[in-house]
Amino acid sequence: MADYKEAPLASRPKTLDPNEYFNLSLEYRRAEEQRSAMRSNLKLQYQTQLNNPHRKALIEDPALNRWMYARSHTYPHFKATFKTSLTGLLFSVVPIFAFYYLFKTDRDKKEADIKAGKYDRRFALSS
Amino acid sequence: MLKILIPTLMLIPTIWLVPAKWLWPSTLVHSLVIAVASFTWFKNTSETGWTTLNSYMATDLLSTPLLVLTCWLLPLMILASQHHMGNEPKNRQRTYITLLTSLQFFLILAFSATELIMFYLMFEATLLPTLMIITRWGNQAERLNAGMYFLFYTLASSLPLLVALLILQNTSGTLSLLTLQYMGPLSLTTHADKLWWAGCLLAFLVKMPLYGVHLWLPKAHVEAPVAGSMILAAVLLKLGGYGMMRMMLVLEPLTKEMSYPFMVFALWGIMMAGSICLRQTDLKSLIAYSSVSHMGLVVAGILVQTPWGFSGALILMIAHGLTSSALFCLANTNYERIHSRSILLARGLQMVLPLMATWWFFASLANLALPPLPNLMGELMIITSLINWSPWTLALTGSGVLITASYSMYMFITTQRGPLPSHLIALDPSHTREHLIMALHLLPLILLILKPHLIWGWAS
Repeated sequence: MADYKEAPLASRPKTLDPNEYFNLSLEYRRAEEQRSAMRSNLKLQYQTQLNNPHRKALIEDPALNRWMYARSHTYPHFKATFKTSLTGLLFSVVPIFAFYYLFKTDRDKKEADIKAGKYDRRFALSS
Repeated sequence: MLKILIPTLMLIPTIWLVPAKWLWPSTLVHSLVIAVASFTWFKNTSETGWTTLNSYMATDLLSTPLLVLTCWLLPLMILASQHHMGNEPKNRQRTYITLLTSLQFFLILAFSATELIMFYLMFEATLLPTLMIITRWGNQAERLNAGMYFLFYTLASSLPLLVALLILQNTSGTLSLLTLQYMGPLSLTTHADKLWWAGCLLAFLVKMPLYGVHLWLPKAHVEAPVAGSMILAAVLLKLGGYGMMRMMLVLEPLTKEMSYPFMVFALWGIMMAGSICLRQTDLKSLIAYSSVSHMGLVVAGILVQTPWGFSGALILMIAHGLTSSALFCLANTNYERIHSRSILLARGLQMVLPLMATWWFFASLANLALPPLPNLMGELMIITSLINWSPWTLALTGSGVLITASYSMYMFITTQRGPLPSHLIALDPSHTREHLIMALHLLPLILLILKPHLIWGWAS
């Protein structure tokens, strides 16, 4: 641990701070060193591409690509659980019937009023 | 009518015989001349009836705005495709423009048809060039799936329409719109008549699209190249609306009862499609779902069958055609620079491309229906006639308008405002061609504020 050196422009993570060494297990320290090495490697790749004077395209971020793919291909991974079925019912089936019932009763009431002569349409010239 | 049809047909030999250096300029000028000549259709001296009448085709106040929109769009499509087609071999470029021209030809025949079977034939005929454009020139592998969805949704729903039209021909003896308008209500009482009613409308509802059967639209719009997206969003959706408005004549007494489920789907679709827009990461997908939302409002306006509803539907169709096409062109300017449709990759563009930001601003304002643009006028007329139909619809249409405003703002703020990503370099400056295409989209929209008579159909 004592001979771990961080990359020139990177900062030392908190868990590798020498002041924190005493209450960390050996495996944890080793794992943390490996993770830190991977992070520095990724940062190095990004910095190389960023500062490449001949670069004209965007820097491709595979994490962003994976996220966008996941966001747009949810259907093959859909599973009909209780929660998803309830959501589907509540937002797709119930509103159709609820609004049908609402509009039908409201308009039937209006039609009955018109037939009974009680609906005031004196100034309704346009619709 | 032949003044426009023959130049459109002759554009095809022009495409194939013109020297390669002059392909794009000459097709652009040719289609612009056709577009300007199509303005003569606006001169309607009769105010109620059909003009430019011959045995097979006619224009009236309903089809004229849609015809002029179709003719106006061809030069815009040619302008928009010029850059991304530049790397293809010349013959393939000529094929592409030929497909666009044949699409325009079929659309002109469809909108001006007086016989319903001719309308049906042209309705189906427009599917083929569009399918070829999507599956051949789309950019991702999903374009094949998109083409299949597009083709089979529309084909499957239009087969009942063919049967229904033949039944109508059998019972009433005519399928000409000129005589059908004087026919008087049919006696539609049996269960089979209700199925006939549904068969007449199903093709147009799928084309519009209605919310439940809208699945083909995001796929087709996203995977198509920019000219395909433009013609799909601006005109092909309106084919469905136009067909519905024509068929309403003969569906008369049943519509009062049978339109309820479709009205509910349309109104609920405004809200649901709008909410999906807020969750989109793909820019073209956002614009596609916004088309579904606006067309839900148009379907509701047509099904309510009042003069204001029809008029509002027509105004909203024209205004949405121009706005949606403009938004797809803007999304294409993004795509040509970063080769990705992600809304997150090209942010803060106002710093880099301020003039294009102005166009984005204007198109987003048009999309969220800012007064005095005709987008708002159409929406207001539809919402008013819906309130007269049932005041409870205001809950859905009002929140729909709110959600429309919020996703239009979201699109504008994410792409234009905020910090510029540090790895975005070497963006091409805005080409004059891109400014021209945006101006040609939005200038008619502004001019229509001053003369809405052109697009409000029979409302007088």
